[in-house]
Amino acid sequence: MDPGKIWGAGRVIRVLFFGPVAERMKAREMEVEFATGMTVHDVIARVGAQQPNVFSIVSFIAVNQNQVHDKQMALKDNDEIALMAKFSGG
Amino acid sequence: MSEPARIQTEDFSQDAEIAALKASSRRMGGIATFIGCARDFSEGREVTKISFEAYGSMALAEMGKLRSAAIEKFGLLDARIVHRVGMVGAGEQIVFIAAGAEHRAPAFEACQWLITELKQRVPIWKKEITPQGEEWVSQHP
Repeated sequence: MDPGKIWGAGRVIRVLFFGPVAERMKAREMEVEFATGMTVHDVIARVGAQQPNVFSIVSFIAVNQNQVHDKQMALKDNDEIALMAKFSGG
Repeated sequence: MSEPARIQTEDFSQDAEIAALKASSRRMGGIATFIGCARDFSEGREVTKISFEAYGSMALAEMGKLRSAAIEKFGLLDARIVHRVGMVGAGEQIVFIAAGAEHRAPAFEACQWLITELKQRVPIWKKEITPQGEEWVSQHP
């Protein structure tokens, strides 16, 4: 066990929102309490419970800055998820 | 020397970027560049400014991967990618791409490939500021 870590504290998944998604969520981030066995799909359900109409503009999902396509992917404590609208840079 | 793939709020100098690119090799026979600028008109509306927002850590990582991929795929000697975030006025520069190779063909091809891939893979969003209001843009033609 990491001695610097307080066991049982800070067991969260950070969910990040940017641009049009942040505007619709009226937030730039939210925290979801981590539970063993939690998947990307579980976190999406939590977000949807707060703002169901956000998913019409979510095109990409990233976990720890890497795009993922499998919503059944298992998460780890302290993972960072981003729900992202179609990109429009350049 | 500045990083070859980066995100910044301030404007960039293409002279400085090209000088940095050329400094990497004296074997460079061709350099192709692309500069994306903010148009003052879009979808039939006047646009005064564009606001750019990025998922900073992921955008930077993706830009770094794109640069490495382009160097590998086209056999470039070096490449640079700079994208601005924050408020960009109409007519101002948004993005800079430079590809340097021994000959012109791979430089041209890599430059086009880089800007096309950047639009699809780098998490950056733009909001057009018009006299009628503000709107996030979702398409990337």
